[in-house]
Formats: sequence, C-alpha cells, structure tokens
Amino acid sequence: MNFFKRQWMVPYLFLAPALIGTIAFKLYPIFIGFWESLIYTSFSGGAEKRIFVWFENYQYLFDDKIFWKSLEITAFLTIIINPLQIAMSLGLALLLMRKSKFIRIIRSLYLLPIGIALPIATIIWGLMLDPNQGLINGLIGVFGIPPQPFLVSENQALWCIIAIATWKGVAFWMLFLLAGLEDIPKQYYEAAEIDGATPFQKFRYVTIPQLKRTILFVFVADTAANFVLMVPMIILTKGGPLQSTNVLIYEGYRSGFYYQDWGRSLSIITILTVITLIVIGLQLLFLSEKNEGIKVK
Amino acid sequence: MKKILASLCTIFLFSNIVTSAKAEINFLIGTWAEEPLTPFVEAFEKETGIEVNIQTFPFRDLLATIEVRGNAQADDVDVIFVDAPLVPSYAVRGMIGPMDQYFADTSVNAIFAPAGIAAASWNGEMYAPPLNNSGQLTYYNKDLLAKAGCAEPSMIEAERVTWEEIVDCAKKITDEANGIHGFIFDQISRYYQLQALPESAGGGSGVCEGGLSVKGCLTNDGWMKAGQFYYDIHNTSNISPKGVGPDQTHELFGLGKIGIFVGGSWNNGRWADTDLNYGVALHPYFEGGKVVTGCNSWHIGVWNYSKQKDDAAKLVRYLTASPEVAIHYVEEHNSLPAHNSAILHVAEDPKFNNFPGIVMNLATYESANHCATRGRTPGFLEFEEIVNTSFEDIRNGGDPASVLADAESRIESSMRRYK
Repeated sequence: MNFFKRQWMVPYLFLAPALIGTIAFKLYPIFIGFWESLIYTSFSGGAEKRIFVWFENYQYLFDDKIFWKSLEITAFLTIIINPLQIAMSLGLALLLMRKSKFIRIIRSLYLLPIGIALPIATIIWGLMLDPNQGLINGLIGVFGIPPQPFLVSENQALWCIIAIATWKGVAFWMLFLLAGLEDIPKQYYEAAEIDGATPFQKFRYVTIPQLKRTILFVFVADTAANFVLMVPMIILTKGGPLQSTNVLIYEGYRSGFYYQDWGRSLSIITILTVITLIVIGLQLLFLSEKNEGIKVK
Repeated sequence: MKKILASLCTIFLFSNIVTSAKAEINFLIGTWAEEPLTPFVEAFEKETGIEVNIQTFPFRDLLATIEVRGNAQADDVDVIFVDAPLVPSYAVRGMIGPMDQYFADTSVNAIFAPAGIAAASWNGEMYAPPLNNSGQLTYYNKDLLAKAGCAEPSMIEAERVTWEEIVDCAKKITDEANGIHGFIFDQISRYYQLQALPESAGGGSGVCEGGLSVKGCLTNDGWMKAGQFYYDIHNTSNISPKGVGPDQTHELFGLGKIGIFVGGSWNNGRWADTDLNYGVALHPYFEGGKVVTGCNSWHIGVWNYSKQKDDAAKLVRYLTASPEVAIHYVEEHNSLPAHNSAILHVAEDPKFNNFPGIVMNLATYESANHCATRGRTPGFLEFEEIVNTSFEDIRNGGDPASVLADAESRIESSMRRYK
C-alpha cells in the first residue's frame, strides 16, 4: 500500500507495460541484431564455429558492390515513393473533404485497398502486369501502345513496385490526413474567405500549417514503412531483374534466409536501422513545430 | 461435489499421461508430396503406433523453414525433406544425422540404385536416403512441328536431337502475335534443369574440384556458351517467352502454345486429360558436346536436433526402403524411382514400352546414363540461389558474361565460410 502512496511512481507504473513491450520487442531485438552482426559463422573443417570478428562483416559489406547497388536502389525508392504517397494521400484527402451526396460511398471505395492484404494485392497486380497475358497490356493495347515487359524489365520493375505499394498505401495514409483535415476549425477558412483568400492561399496558409503535425506523423510512419517494404520483391521480382528491385531489406532477408549468412544479413539490417533513424531524425528536425518553415500569416 | 471434482481431475491427468505417452513426430515436406505420401504415412502410423504430423510447404518456403529451424536448433522437427544437392550442406552444418546405423541390418546397395546412394551421402556416410529420382526429356507438339515442317525429335540415341536443331525448328514455330513460342524449359531459370547446358558445352557443374570454390568454373567457355544460348532464346530469336514462371510452363505446353518442351518425366501425367497431340524424345545436347541431363530428386533425413531420432528413422526407412512407396510414385506420379525394385518394375512391365508409358523408360535411361549430378558443395544453397538469379537476369536481358562474372564473385565470397 505504501508503494501506491509514493505518487512519483504512479506514472512509471502506467508506462511500465508499454516500456517493457518496447524493450522486449524493439530494443532487445535491435541489440541482439547488432551483436550478431559482429559474429562470423564458419563451417570450416565441417564444424560450426562462431567467431567474434568486430566489424569485419561490415568491412566485407562495404567492399561488396551488391550492397552499394542495393543501397542506391533503397535511396531512390525512398526519395520517390514517400513524397509521392504523401502528395497523393493529401490530394485524395482534400478531394474527399468536398461535400457530395455520394461522399460516403466514394470514401469507402477509396478505402478498399486497405482491406486487401499486401501479399494478395501483390499477387493480383502481378497477374495484371504479366507481360504475356496481363490485363494492363491488354488495356494499353487499346490505345495502340505495344506490350510492356513491366516486372521483367530492369527499367520498369521498380516503378511497378512503387505503383503497387502506392496503390495499397495511399488510402491508409489518407485516413490520417482526412482526420487531420476534419480537425481544422471551419472558422479559419471563413476568416480567410472574408480576407479574400483564393483557394490556393487557403490551402497554403490555413490547411498546410494546421495539418503540419499530421503530415509529420504520416511522413515519418510512411518512411519507416517503406524502408521495410519487401513483400512485392519476395513475391514478384526476387530483387531482379538485374538487381533493379533489390532493396536493402530484401538483400538482408535474402542473405539470412537464402544464403544463411547471418553476419552479413544482420549487418545490413543494422545499417538499415541506422539509416532509418537518421532519415526520421532529419524529418523530425526539419518538419517539427520548433523549426517551423511555414508561418501562418 | 469434491469427490466429483477430484475424479474429473484424475481422469484429466490420466488422459494427459496416456496422450503424452504416444509418440508423435513432425515431418516437414513439400506441398507436392502430401498427396502421394499421406496414405503411406497413415499406414506407418497404424503399423507402429507413432503419430506423424505432416507439415507442408511450397519449395522455397520449405528450404527457408528448414534453415530457420536449423538455425534455432529447434527440437520440434523430426524428419525433413532434403533436396539431393543439399545433403552435404545439411550434413556439414549438423542439421541431419548419419543414417547408416538404421540400415545396419540390410544392404543399402540392395535397396537403392548407386546414384541415389551417392547423392544421399557425404564423406562416406549416408545421411538422407532417396525417396525418388528424376530424368529430363524432350516433349513436342506434333501438330505445331508438322505445321512448321520440322522433323520430330527421336527416341533413338544415335539420332538424339541437338540444341541447334531445337532452335532452328523453334524459330519456324514461333508466332508471337498469336502467343505461340517454339521452345520452353520446364523449370525456367533453375540450375537443376539448366545445368545440362554448360555441362553439354564442356563447362562442368559450375563448382570446382573439392566443392569449396567456383573461381573460373562459372565463367569458363562452357558456361559462357550456355549463358549466351539462354540469352539468345529469350532475347534474340525470342523462341522462349519471358515473364513465365516454372509453374506455368507445362500449362502453356498443354494448351498447345509451345512447340518443344524440355522437362521432367512427372509432366507426362499432366496432359493425360487434354487433347494435346504430343510425342516424347531424348534430351537435347550441343552438337559436338556431351550428352547430359538433370537428375536426382528428393531425399528424406532425420533432423539432428530431434529428441525422437529412433522413431524418426523408422519413418525414413519405411518411406524410402518400401518398394510399395517407390512403385506408387512411378504409377501414380510419373516420378523416376531410386529404389531398385521400382527400377526393375519399370524395366519389366510392358506398358512402359509404349507411349505414353515409355516416358518412364526413356527418363530411366537418361538418368542412368547421362546424369549430371548437381555441384557437390556444402555451400549449395547459396550457390543455387545465386545461379538461379543469374539465369533469370540473363533471361531478362542481362549480359551473360558480366552476370556470370558477378555470380562467380558473389558465390566465391559466400564460400569463404566453408574453407
């Protein structure tokens, strides 16, 4: 009973379940992953030996052009897919804010992709993008466009995956932005209208500043989600053609589960974790309220 | 009330004791083997009282699951399916144990064909007895060949068709506008089947002597010729379609969309219910080169971390050493046997002398005389994955020389763990 009288402990008590969960399921695996990335497993002489090699696995990685190519693809994917998904989600959210008799039906239609599991969506898109018998080639053929190789082309495969992930992700992120838009007080828009603001000015000086925290959350969460995007690679491309879709997370997965090189795999995953933290840190730094770039006039 | 509760508790405890006394083993297999094996597993359960829990996985997932369970040294696995070339890898890493002691009362040479025993062994010990074997043949669509004016490939050794003849004919058949292609491999971009190309061109298996290096063995002239051939059929002459997976190839042939199909004996039963007018011939080779076909298949091993190795070994022996299982595989699934009794059955039953049964006879001949055992290396898992990816990259337009050079360097780097 005395325990509960010590009031300073109460918040910690409430936080404890979440903290324990974070430590057990987030921090501990990250630590284990890092520790195992310093270990080299040798089968020399027919017996398994685990050797602590400090950063030798990383050294091998940095000398490996597959790793650098993979890093390049991950960077390209991140630069394209995150702004694209945020812009499309925001655009959709703004469209769905408009008053219409059928708005509920339209909103439900746009939310449909959320209800389809990513592996299923990927398989369906894979069938549609089939270069020989796919629906998409049939559709573009109507406009006189020749059949495209899509997922078997070095130049098109990553774009196809961006399209699939965006189709699946946009509706989900739009939900948050829609909630954020609903939260903006109507009086702000009325005041802007009285001041003679154009629709663009209302968007620029009312919507964006008021939505900034939501956008920041969506940006951070979307970035983290896309860094670990690999279902389409596993199901459709296996990192190919010619490594054009071989993102870091897939290379890490493949090194561990296909090549049994856990030292290499966990070195890649550790580097990916660090990159994710840096990118998210930069996003928080530049987009958080303290460093506000956009002032409400 | 208390008495009733006490009685219930006693019954509950007693039933648990009885249940736990019954042996139960977990058996990891490929999805394709569930149907053929289930009746025999049930018979084994009846005969021994050992309960077998079958867990099925698709090909890639099966290998990944075995790796994950092996890495965790999990004791909830007892028996596993083993792809023949993975025997050294699993043995070196201690994932499967030697089986000789469980066959001590008999002669394995009397049960299995020598090639099966060789594939099952590493360093002179048998680790995973063979369940079956495999053989590759040339299937052709008679109507498409006649329309193109091509001669039908032969079943006679002296008239064996060459890859050059296959390409010439396939060019005449190909009509891309109508979705018809002249040629396709059954297992597209898979080392198992494509190994025959570099082997026939004199390039070897890709794995160097000793099994711990690929330096110079994946980029020699034979492999370059094979890589260029694979590139050309998909990118120059376009006789083979892109974007088709190994699971779709037999369907395309069955639909009459492919002129010539090189694939395993097991495909034969797949077209039994179609109107396809097809024939079968020996496997192709490069003119002036060696005659080589893919072979070996699935084996079964006892999981080294199992706590019930004796029971597990009983199941392995029951499934691999029983003539009934091997003959069932031949009769019902067109799988080539590794068991001597089933090999004899194929040789003696007259139905295997006429089409379509002759497929089994031809495949047995190919496997017995022209089998190219896949590269023997403890790093086979990495080797195969990288080679498969490289073939797929070449198929999708990658320069064969640079793709193979990359693959060689990558495999060489992963092999350092075994040196």
